[in-house]
Amino acid sequence: MPNRSESLSGLTDTEAQEFHRIFISSFVGFTAVAVVAHILVWMWRPWL
Amino acid sequence: MWKVWLLFDPRRALVALFTFLFALAILIHFILLSTNKYNWLEGQQTSSLATPGITKVIPT
Repeated sequence: MPNRSESLSGLTDTEAQEFHRIFISSFVGFTAVAVVAHILVWMWRPWL
Repeated sequence: MWKVWLLFDPRRALVALFTFLFALAILIHFILLSTNKYNWLEGQQTSSLATPGITKVIPT
Protein backbone atom coordinates (compact mmCIF):
# COMPACT_ATOMS: atom_id res chain seq x y z
CA MET A 1 0.00 0.00 0.00
CA PRO A 2 1.68 3.32 -1.12
CA ASN A 3 1.85 5.72 1.83
CA ARG A 4 -0.65 8.61 1.96
CA SER A 5 1.60 11.26 0.30
CA GLU A 6 2.76 9.06 -2.63
CA SER A 7 0.87 9.96 -5.86
CA LEU A 8 0.00 7.43 -8.52
CA SER A 9 2.53 8.88 -10.89
CA GLY A 10 5.13 9.28 -8.16
CA LEU A 11 5.35 13.06 -8.65
CA THR A 12 5.03 15.48 -5.76
CA ASP A 13 2.56 18.37 -6.00
CA THR A 14 5.31 20.88 -6.73
CA GLU A 15 6.80 18.68 -9.47
CA ALA A 16 3.37 18.24 -11.04
CA GLN A 17 2.74 21.99 -11.02
CA GLU A 18 6.17 22.71 -12.48
CA PHE A 19 5.67 20.14 -15.26
CA HIS A 20 2.18 21.48 -15.93
CA ARG A 21 3.50 25.01 -16.42
CA ILE A 22 5.99 23.85 -19.05
CA PHE A 23 3.39 21.57 -20.65
CA ILE A 24 0.89 24.40 -21.04
CA SER A 25 3.42 26.83 -22.53
CA SER A 26 4.54 24.15 -24.99
CA PHE A 27 0.89 23.56 -25.88
CA VAL A 28 0.35 27.27 -26.53
CA GLY A 29 3.45 27.35 -28.72
CA PHE A 30 2.30 24.30 -30.68
CA THR A 31 -1.13 25.86 -31.19
CA ALA A 32 0.39 29.17 -32.36
CA VAL A 33 2.44 27.33 -35.00
CA ALA A 34 -0.65 25.41 -36.11
CA VAL A 35 -2.69 28.61 -36.43
CA VAL A 36 0.03 30.25 -38.54
CA ALA A 37 0.22 27.14 -40.76
CA HIS A 38 -3.53 27.14 -41.29
CA ILE A 39 -3.50 30.85 -42.17
CA LEU A 40 -0.79 30.25 -44.74
CA VAL A 41 -2.67 27.32 -46.27
CA TRP A 42 -5.85 29.39 -46.34
CA MET A 43 -4.02 32.16 -48.22
CA TRP A 44 -2.71 29.49 -50.63
CA ARG A 45 -5.96 27.61 -51.25
CA PRO A 46 -9.05 28.37 -49.11
CA TRP A 47 -10.93 25.21 -48.30
CA LEU A 48 -14.44 26.70 -47.81
CA MET B 1 -5.75 20.77 -13.82
CA TRP B 2 -2.11 20.18 -12.87
CA LYS B 3 -3.26 17.31 -10.69
CA VAL B 4 -3.52 15.20 -13.79
CA TRP B 5 0.25 14.74 -13.46
CA LEU B 6 -0.33 13.12 -10.10
CA LEU B 7 -2.28 10.44 -11.97
CA PHE B 8 -0.43 10.06 -15.23
CA ASP B 9 3.32 9.70 -15.37
CA PRO B 10 4.55 12.64 -17.54
CA ARG B 11 7.10 10.54 -19.42
CA ARG B 12 4.56 7.98 -20.58
CA ALA B 13 2.01 10.71 -21.27
CA LEU B 14 4.46 12.65 -23.45
CA VAL B 15 5.52 9.56 -25.40
CA ALA B 16 1.87 8.65 -26.02
CA LEU B 17 1.02 12.23 -26.99
CA PHE B 18 3.92 12.59 -29.42
CA THR B 19 3.19 9.23 -31.03
CA PHE B 20 -0.48 10.14 -31.45
CA LEU B 21 0.27 13.61 -32.85
CA PHE B 22 2.85 12.20 -35.26
CA ALA B 23 0.41 9.56 -36.58
CA LEU B 24 -2.30 12.20 -36.96
CA ALA B 25 0.03 14.55 -38.81
CA ILE B 26 1.14 11.79 -41.21
CA LEU B 27 -2.51 10.86 -41.82
CA ILE B 28 -3.61 14.42 -42.56
CA HIS B 29 -0.66 15.16 -44.82
CA PHE B 30 -1.26 12.02 -46.86
CA ILE B 31 -5.00 12.75 -47.08
CA LEU B 32 -4.18 16.19 -48.47
CA LEU B 33 -1.63 14.71 -50.87
CA SER B 34 -4.31 12.35 -52.16
CA THR B 35 -6.52 15.27 -53.19
CA ASN B 36 -6.19 17.19 -56.43
CA LYS B 37 -6.61 20.61 -54.86
CA TYR B 38 -4.11 20.26 -52.05
CA ASN B 39 -1.42 18.16 -53.66
CA TRP B 40 1.51 20.49 -53.24
CA LEU B 41 3.94 18.12 -55.03
CA GLU B 42 2.11 17.44 -58.26
CA GLY B 43 0.31 20.78 -58.29
CA GLN B 44 -3.33 21.13 -59.34
CA GLN B 45 -4.05 19.00 -62.41
CA THR B 46 -6.37 21.44 -64.24
CA SER B 47 -9.24 19.05 -65.08
CA SER B 48 -10.10 20.90 -68.36
CA LEU B 49 -6.83 19.65 -69.97
CA ALA B 50 -6.97 16.14 -68.54
CA THR B 51 -10.34 14.99 -69.94
CA PRO B 52 -10.99 16.24 -73.54
CA GLY B 53 -8.90 13.49 -75.17
CA ILE B 54 -10.67 10.82 -73.20
CA THR B 55 -14.20 12.04 -73.96
CA LYS B 56 -13.51 11.89 -77.72
CA VAL B 57 -12.38 8.25 -77.53
CA ILE B 58 -15.50 7.03 -75.73
CA PRO B 59 -18.06 6.07 -78.43
CA THR B 60 -21.44 7.67 -77.71
